[in-house]
Parts: sequence; C-alpha cells; structure tokens
Amino acid sequence: MSSAAAPSDAELIVAVLERDDRQAFARLVERHQSKVRTVLRRLTKGDHALADDLAQETFVLAWRNLRHFRFEARFSTWIYRIAFNAWQSEARKKREIAMDIDDDAPLAGPESFEEMPDIVSRMDLERAMACLSDGERAAIAACYYADLSHEEASVALGMPLGTVKTHVMRAKAKLKARLVAKEPS
Amino acid sequence: MNATDKLDRILRRDAAEDIADEGFAARVMAALPAREPRRQSGLNPTLVLGSAAVGSLLAVAFAPANANILQGMIDLYQHHALTPAAYVSIGMSAILLVSAALLARDA
Repeated sequence: MSSAAAPSDAELIVAVLERDDRQAFARLVERHQSKVRTVLRRLTKGDHALADDLAQETFVLAWRNLRHFRFEARFSTWIYRIAFNAWQSEARKKREIAMDIDDDAPLAGPESFEEMPDIVSRMDLERAMACLSDGERAAIAACYYADLSHEEASVALGMPLGTVKTHVMRAKAKLKARLVAKEPS
Repeated sequence: MNATDKLDRILRRDAAEDIADEGFAARVMAALPAREPRRQSGLNPTLVLGSAAVGSLLAVAFAPANANILQGMIDLYQHHALTPAAYVSIGMSAILLVSAALLARDA
C-alpha cells in the first residue's frame, strides 16, 4: 500500500543524494514552493517578485546543501531556515534589519479589539503586516505561515525563544489594532 | 470568538492559500547548478589502502633483523619494552589506524 503512496520528503531526499535524481528534487520543489513563497511574500511586505527570487535562491541553496540535511528535522523546517537566511541576507544588503524587540511599541490589551473583522482582504493583511518590525514579521511568518512551533521558529530565525514569543505577542497586538482601524464602522 | 481567535483564524486562512506553481519549479530546476561530483568513492579507498600496504611493506623491509610484528606485540605486552620489533609493531598499528580513520570518514 505504501509503495503506491506519494514518496515522503525523506525518500525524495535520499533519491537526490544517492542517485542525483533531479526529478525527485523537482517534486520537493513542487511540494513546498507554495508555502515557501507565501512566507517570503509576507517577509518582503508583499513584494512578490523579490519573494520569488528569494524562493528560487532558497531552493538552489537547498540543492547545494542537501547532503548536510539531518533527517531528525522536517525538511520544511530546514528549508524555511534557508529562506529566512536568504531574506535576512537580502535585507542586510539594503539596510540593517532590526530583529530585536521594539520596547517602545505599545502593547494594547485584547479588550480593545472587540470589533475585529471576521474576514480581511489579503491586501489589508499585507499592509498590516508591512507595519510590523522585521523581527515581528519574521516571527509571525515563521509561526503562522511556515507553521513552525515557537521552538522551531527560534531555531529557524536564530533568535532566543523568549524573543520569538514576545515578537509574536507584539505583532498580534499591532495587527489587531491595524485591522480594527481598517474596519468600516 | 475573541479578537485573538479571529486574528489567528485570519492568519491561518491566509497562510493556507496555495500559490499556483506557474512555472516556478521549472525555473528553479533550470537554475540548479550541476552537482559537484562526489568524492570518487573507488579512488580514495584504493589510495588509502595502497598507501597503507606500501607503508607496511616499508616498515617490514627496514625493520631490524628478527624484528617481526608478532615479536613486537609480545615485547610490548610482556615486557613493556620499546624493542626494535616493538617499534615496527607500533608503526604498523599506526598506519592501519590512520587508514581505518580515513576510510571511515569517507564512508
């Protein structure tokens, strides 16, 4: 039964490593491209062209470094780590990215946001995400879009676990504030 | 449902939306470099084992008369003495250890 099922990521990786099987790698790309590109689109504040360039760079780097993949981790976790690094490198070319906690940012209580809309357009969400600090956006991208645990996000982003949690908390407070303000009364 | 739940749902819904491939995977595959040839697995063991064999032969050839490996082992074990035979024995052991380590690293 299992032989008829789609091969797992691990099986595809083994095929690439042992037989230099490009078709197997193509399947990995097809399987993960959507999530990786979505994460990068959020990180790049909706710049789809840049996000796709970084996604391509991510998969090329994965190809080059596949022999260093450790099978204890999920392939997706590993590739998100590469994607985050690619984004950070790109951002550093343009400016210093700030992954530290913005202590001056206000932390509003959840009671302020009873009027949170049920549905938000992608455009509004992208705009709201663009207002977050780099660290906050990275934490949200990792924990929601890449679906990593806080611990996995901490490893992928190279930041302490407590910082990830703080970024997520502050980012959500900011997003709620932005999205409520957007909602027509 | 409170605001936090709503936001979680909004984010998860947004994250779940698929981006169509639209040639992305093909572009990635076209951009892949040729894989660097792996270390030639047949050559390295041959070199290592060949070197070990030559080293061993040299150790035996230049060993003093009557200094065979077995005698060296016995000298080391029984007398803890660094006799000429013991030196040959230690040299051979070192050669074999280095060979084994190199082969294990490349395995």
